[in-house]
Amino acid sequence: MVSQMVWVSIVLPFLAAIGCLIDSKPLRSILVVGTGVAVSLASLLLVQGQAFSLNPETIFGIPADGLIAVLDFALLFVILGISYQLKNKLIAVLTVLQIIPLAFLELFLHGAENTAPSIYGDQLSMIMSLIISIIGSLICIYGLSYMEEHEHHLHVEKSRQGRFFFFMVLFLGAMNGLVFANNLLWLYFFWEVTTLCSFMLIKHDGTDIAVANATRALWMNMLGGVAFILGLVILRAKGLPLALQELISTPGVASLALLPVGLLCFAGFTKSAQVPFQSWLCGAMVAPTPVSALLHSSTMVKAGVYLVIRLAPAFAGTLFSHYVALFGAFTFLTTALLAISQSNGKKILAYSTISNLGMIIACAGINTPAAMAAAILLIVFHAISKGLMFLCVGTIEQRIGSRDIEDMRGLIRIMPRTAMIAVIGMVTMFLPPFGALLSKWMAVEASARLPLVVLMLAIGSAFTMVFWGRWLGLVMTSVMGEAQEPEEQSPLVRVPLVILAAAAIVVSFVAPGLYSAMVLPVLERFYSTDLYIAAQGVFINNIGMFAVFPIFLVMVLGVAWAARASSGKRVHQRAYSTPYVAGLQDPANPQRIGFKGPLGQWANFTTSNYYMDAWIGEGRISGWINLISSGILIILLTGVL
Amino acid sequence: MDIKSIIFVILALIFAPVAGGFLAGIDRRLTAWCQGRFGPPILQPFYDVFKLLGKDRQVVNTWQIFCAHIYLISSMLSLALFAMQSDLLMIFFVMTIGAVFMVIGALSTPSPYSQIGAQRELIQMLTYEPLLVIVFVGIYFVTGSFKISDIVAYDRPIFLILPLLYLVLTFALTIKLRKSPFDISACHHGHQEIVRGVLTEYSGPYLAILEIAHWYDIVLILAICSLFWTTSAIGMFFLLAITYLAEIVIDNITPRLTWKWMLTYVWAVGITLSLFNMALLYAKSF
Repeated sequence: MVSQMVWVSIVLPFLAAIGCLIDSKPLRSILVVGTGVAVSLASLLLVQGQAFSLNPETIFGIPADGLIAVLDFALLFVILGISYQLKNKLIAVLTVLQIIPLAFLELFLHGAENTAPSIYGDQLSMIMSLIISIIGSLICIYGLSYMEEHEHHLHVEKSRQGRFFFFMVLFLGAMNGLVFANNLLWLYFFWEVTTLCSFMLIKHDGTDIAVANATRALWMNMLGGVAFILGLVILRAKGLPLALQELISTPGVASLALLPVGLLCFAGFTKSAQVPFQSWLCGAMVAPTPVSALLHSSTMVKAGVYLVIRLAPAFAGTLFSHYVALFGAFTFLTTALLAISQSNGKKILAYSTISNLGMIIACAGINTPAAMAAAILLIVFHAISKGLMFLCVGTIEQRIGSRDIEDMRGLIRIMPRTAMIAVIGMVTMFLPPFGALLSKWMAVEASARLPLVVLMLAIGSAFTMVFWGRWLGLVMTSVMGEAQEPEEQSPLVRVPLVILAAAAIVVSFVAPGLYSAMVLPVLERFYSTDLYIAAQGVFINNIGMFAVFPIFLVMVLGVAWAARASSGKRVHQRAYSTPYVAGLQDPANPQRIGFKGPLGQWANFTTSNYYMDAWIGEGRISGWINLISSGILIILLTGVL
Repeated sequence: MDIKSIIFVILALIFAPVAGGFLAGIDRRLTAWCQGRFGPPILQPFYDVFKLLGKDRQVVNTWQIFCAHIYLISSMLSLALFAMQSDLLMIFFVMTIGAVFMVIGALSTPSPYSQIGAQRELIQMLTYEPLLVIVFVGIYFVTGSFKISDIVAYDRPIFLILPLLYLVLTFALTIKLRKSPFDISACHHGHQEIVRGVLTEYSGPYLAILEIAHWYDIVLILAICSLFWTTSAIGMFFLLAITYLAEIVIDNITPRLTWKWMLTYVWAVGITLSLFNMALLYAKSF
């Protein structure tokens, strides 16, 4: 049963992806929705069971390890071909730097016989698979309607949706493979598949800027790939097993393997777009919104943090671990600062994504049970809320024609439903009692013994509050007028939005249960003290407590009370007035707020957020951030040599 | 949760606004005395709030009403959590809900005054939030816990160990009290510039709700200050009294300044003081 479910989650998307290439809209819709339902069900069924390991000897009658090796080479040669097409020497060099070590590893280095199972799934893999399969599928389904509109808007002659959904669906399979792989060579294969898919998806629109940004994403991820394969070669050369679980759970291995583990973490940093590699993720925002949503909420970037979290027990208690914490906290702080300087909605989401990933990396570096719990929970909650936010911005952009948050003023009157869903997305990103804040609380308490880290987390979390808070307020900016018209939407858009919004709230509410059932078993394998206990909806450990259920209960009652007090029944229509502008309204139309200028010309009042561009503009501080983070990264890597 | 703590929570929720109102009344009298005026009766803040509650409702949109109510709820909830002696950092985050909704309420109206006020209020929050977290971490360093029940049980006054961090806390208190030099987002005195900033668009019962919520907040911050001297009631009283008097003096002798100055000054001084205090702690432990 388990093996069938794993099969469905990994291989089915690969097969369905090929089907998507056929240019037939109904077939494609059926394939995308069907695959989404199938992998979601498979991941839900897997969660019912215990941790498992599988060792498939053959795939379609071909020896499995050999097949993966052949596919690995095929993939690398495809990327080499792309580099030729792009005339990009850097990517070519980085690809060759992977082909040679891989060939060396496969042909000449025969370490200890690899007896470890190729596939292993514990609760961490299952959580990841749930996120990938359910949120990822919802995003793909949303994409069906979005791409229709997108191509219509761009006046594309010949539909390129086949190719688009080929890579989208392939991505789901690759990610599922990545989180269930135990054999590091298998993991490497899926890792490179996600790199290739992300390149193809980012450059999908084919504009100059899309190609340029996709190229940057490719070389940065290929750099990570080089570190990955070098790590594997060193592992094999030292006679260590090329298997994740054996690497982290065999006593004594960890101290020998610090260098390869460090290299693997470096690969994770590039994939998770940590500073100084943040530019590929920001550049990826040129892609159609479903791509941004898929890459930056539930898949791709989560692969990087997943690997670092997986490896964390192997470097617990080392100096390397402290530097990882520092590095992650630095990313968290600086990208949250950059988010304040942005008015482009997708850029804000991008920087906030990197910021959250930085916090996850910081937690992996802090490496205490509380921090690891925070890291795993944050992966879940961030995926849901951020996926939702990306889809909301995409929907809003298709309606108002802009992704600038200043243009979203008063959105609540234009798109009341989508705006409310976006409000849920934002609130669940940064306010209690929702999960993202719960994880942040855990992270801050866990980092309290590391002064520099806790300082950066404290300041960074205040930045976070600024850019979410003002965006939330802008959406609401309105003067009461005629009744609002609920906007029309295709169910392919509405359903994913509503499901994700509901999930953002419900999953936060069941966070204590989720922790006990899914996170605690993973942590108990490696840590025995200071674990959080989640009893009766309250998280408690020896230094702190977070009362999820009580706060939820009071806030639900409070929201109901506030909604009742502000409802149409309680507030008479007479009570509505226009804002105070020192009597400068247009006397004929008091809703029009502005003043008569010198020549009797009417001028509207305009206000805008403080973006502090002169202080913290992207161009101004990115260089410094890259410099400092490169410094930390170099110290971090020389430390493991 | 036992009966005792339930009673304690109820008492806190009833008496906090009373204490907050009295404090505001005394504050106004003392400020008037400083400025050579007679000042209003001590009970004036209560008269004001009762009068506001009876006024006609007037708002620009429904979100203002919604946000005012959420602000009140979150302030009451954070005080209740304090009375239950739960986690300091959690209480802080719950308090943030109210502060954020206050900003949203102000941003929800297109009035330039309340918009600018809201932006400044965000900067104020940005200024004090990291400092509060640092103070809590400092308390954790000394007592080994974020739970108020454990902090109260600590057998020495924390003030004697963390005097500089207490100063950092008073920065946050000054900002929360909306006192000079940090009264940039909703000050009476800045009316020519931003009317009343974040509060401009609020009137009548909704302004009263914000005022009551504000009293809860002040009591909560003072309660956090009181954690610095938990060993004796007299010590606690004097610590709070001196702190509040100092706030009034500072309010009267300093001018209102810009947000840029506030942010850089408070962070620079606050973080330096915190690090210095931490260094002292480390030095002592050797």
